Amino acid sequence: MACDFLMVQRYDNIVLAKVMKERLLDPPSISSLAEALNAECDRTARISLVIDMSDVGYLSSAMIGKLVAVHKAAKLGKGRVAIAGLKAPLLAMFKVTQLDKLFEFAADAEQIIQLYRRKPL
Amino acid sequence: MTRPLNIFPGEPPNKPPIVFERRWPSRIDKKQEILDEVVDLLINSGWVIADDRAWLYLCFDEIVVNAMLHGNEGDPRLEIELTVRLSDDRWVVTVSDQGEGFEESHIPDHEDPQALMLEHGRGIRIMQEWLDELIYYRGGSFAWLARARADRPQT
Repeated sequence: MACDFLMVQRYDNIVLAKVMKERLLDPPSISSLAEALNAECDRTARISLVIDMSDVGYLSSAMIGKLVAVHKAAKLGKGRVAIAGLKAPLLAMFKVTQLDKLFEFAADAEQIIQLYRRKPL
Repeated sequence: MTRPLNIFPGEPPNKPPIVFERRWPSRIDKKQEILDEVVDLLINSGWVIADDRAWLYLCFDEIVVNAMLHGNEGDPRLEIELTVRLSDDRWVVTVSDQGEGFEESHIPDHEDPQALMLEHGRGIRIMQEWLDELIYYRGGSFAWLARARADRPQT
């Protein structure tokens, strides 16, 4: 399923996926985003996936669960996932459930892309 | 640290007084309409600050989805009821469904490292972080969410 609010740029195995939607609450949006991100993990071995969520203002716990699934898919291909640009309340939601142990977080996408370029997989 | 979840078999308190009351069929396509209406009420009334809008959406999404899909098993003939109650110092939102409730053992313990990779079950833990009270009555089919009013007099 195509995700019409996801813009993907690929730099070798670094993949920047920018989510261009404020609300990640409705099931169709959550499913299409998760499928598109999982497809990127399937497509690229040793992926360094940077999900730019700076446009996202609201999300549900179902969306957080789908991001865990994306992390699993990336790990399966010996990759890694970072989430960039999360607004403070949303970052707090990840930390409450210990997901800061799973994902890398960065204030903006450029910061983490630079880090991944310095430390390739 | 995870707070224990309170699930009581009995009826909820009948105060503070209800200031908003609505029923909706268990149709997930109605969810956004419900969320927008209640979130706007709480923020536009000054009971919750606008910066906390993301927490409200997550909490109400969680509670409404659980009521519709788990409590009422997605049956559009069954309704959920949502009320907003208000006292001098706090607001309460209640959401009830027509189901049988649930047991706490069905909720993953997110302090347990084994639960880290689960794709579900985080909603209650996140709600507990922001709310002052998250209590279930009627064995779990009646959710009670409460927090201090943002506009309460400071002491």
